[in-house]
Amino acid sequence: MSLIPEIDTSACVAHGDCVHVAPQAFRLDDVAVTIGVAPDELLIEAARACPSAAIVLIDSETGEEVRV
Amino acid sequence: MSSISHILIAGGGLAAQRCCETLRARGYDGSIAVACAEPVAPYDRPPLSKEWLAGEPVDPALRPPGWHAEHGVELLLGRAARRLDPHRRVLELDDGERLRYDRLVIATGSRPVALPGLEGFENVQPLRTLADAERLRGALAAGGSLAVVGAGLIGLEVAATARRLGLRVTVIEAGPAPMAAILGAEAGSRLARMHREEGVDVRVRTTVERALGSARVEALELVGGLRVPCDHVVVGVGVRPATAWLEGSGLDPAAVAVDELGRTSVAGVSAAGDAACRLDPLSGRQMPGAHWESAVRGGTAAACGLLGLPAPAPAIPSFWSDQYGVRLQCVGDPRAADGVAFAGDPAGRAFELTYMRGGRTAAVLLAGRPPAALRAARDRIDVQSHDHPRSIAA
Repeated sequence: MSLIPEIDTSACVAHGDCVHVAPQAFRLDDVAVTIGVAPDELLIEAARACPSAAIVLIDSETGEEVRV
Repeated sequence: MSSISHILIAGGGLAAQRCCETLRARGYDGSIAVACAEPVAPYDRPPLSKEWLAGEPVDPALRPPGWHAEHGVELLLGRAARRLDPHRRVLELDDGERLRYDRLVIATGSRPVALPGLEGFENVQPLRTLADAERLRGALAAGGSLAVVGAGLIGLEVAATARRLGLRVTVIEAGPAPMAAILGAEAGSRLARMHREEGVDVRVRTTVERALGSARVEALELVGGLRVPCDHVVVGVGVRPATAWLEGSGLDPAAVAVDELGRTSVAGVSAAGDAACRLDPLSGRQMPGAHWESAVRGGTAAACGLLGLPAPAPAIPSFWSDQYGVRLQCVGDPRAADGVAFAGDPAGRAFELTYMRGGRTAAVLLAGRPPAALRAARDRIDVQSHDHPRSIAA
């Protein structure tokens, strides 16, 4: 499985935890933005670290949200 | 919009930082100065009771060194606001310097409430600032026993971190359970059980009768006679807005009311973060800011107000905590509830509490639940359930 992270910009308040966990995949602006790829394990860790649950992970093959 | 070329921010915490960021992101190119009582650039407070306090190598700075210079933000560190003259548009600092402004943002945060019987001891402290946290980290590293007075978010997080570091910990709470005033009895009893399972001596419905010791507290004597020996004491019994310096300015030093764009009743003066009482769009009540997310939203809203931009969309209030590896997340206002529904393992640490009001979902508390559960909870919150009577402070 390969995951694609999306940011729910209505929920994100730029805590920055995702950037700490996976700096290759996220950058902070007004809200977090995705900037690159990272291993699935790191993306899952980032999604779980986000206090706002603003990272939605999409399965690149099915296009479905992956609940982590 | 009249031309603004000099924005001054009193206070240098999260709300001030977000205000600066939004001002620059939305194209403001005039000057920004931030007068901050603490001698350090804006930093993040949540880690100070958690991973940073435990000694993990996390940097609490909100932005890298150099960010403020790069973005034309002048940091006046170690310099507190002392007096405001809104008619002349002058802010006086504690070193006597008088700074002129076109627009002022009050973002001086809050200060911990002190307990009269526990003042003046060497080993009693609050946890609010980085300096407080450095002192506490040193005390926890020495081991021994810790007494925590107040089972709110700060007290519980400190207790959890101290247990992780191997200290003997007693938590003393005046209410019937930890956080019961906010989260209710059901959540409170689950929090108490979790802390007891982790070895914390949780004492509820009691208060400190007196402190035993001279320069240092050696034990706390509780109402009822129990003696709690302690090497160190943390007091976490709430905060009040740090706005006493506004005395005589025309603004109420006890509660600075602001609108949805952070504007106060005084021309040219806005406020954000813990120092401001925002009009909560869900309840119509003027609520003091007290959490990370309200500081973020307040700082952003104040910047929008200064630039003549529309107010950001109203957001459901929320806060989070991490204790013993369990993430607690609360969305909505649980204080508005007339009933609570539990879902989850009765004996476990993963659960959801749904707070109802008038048949609608007013708030959801999640413990140890995945991110998707929080998103689902947010979608369930019904704005209509927050139908408090409208009352405006100030």
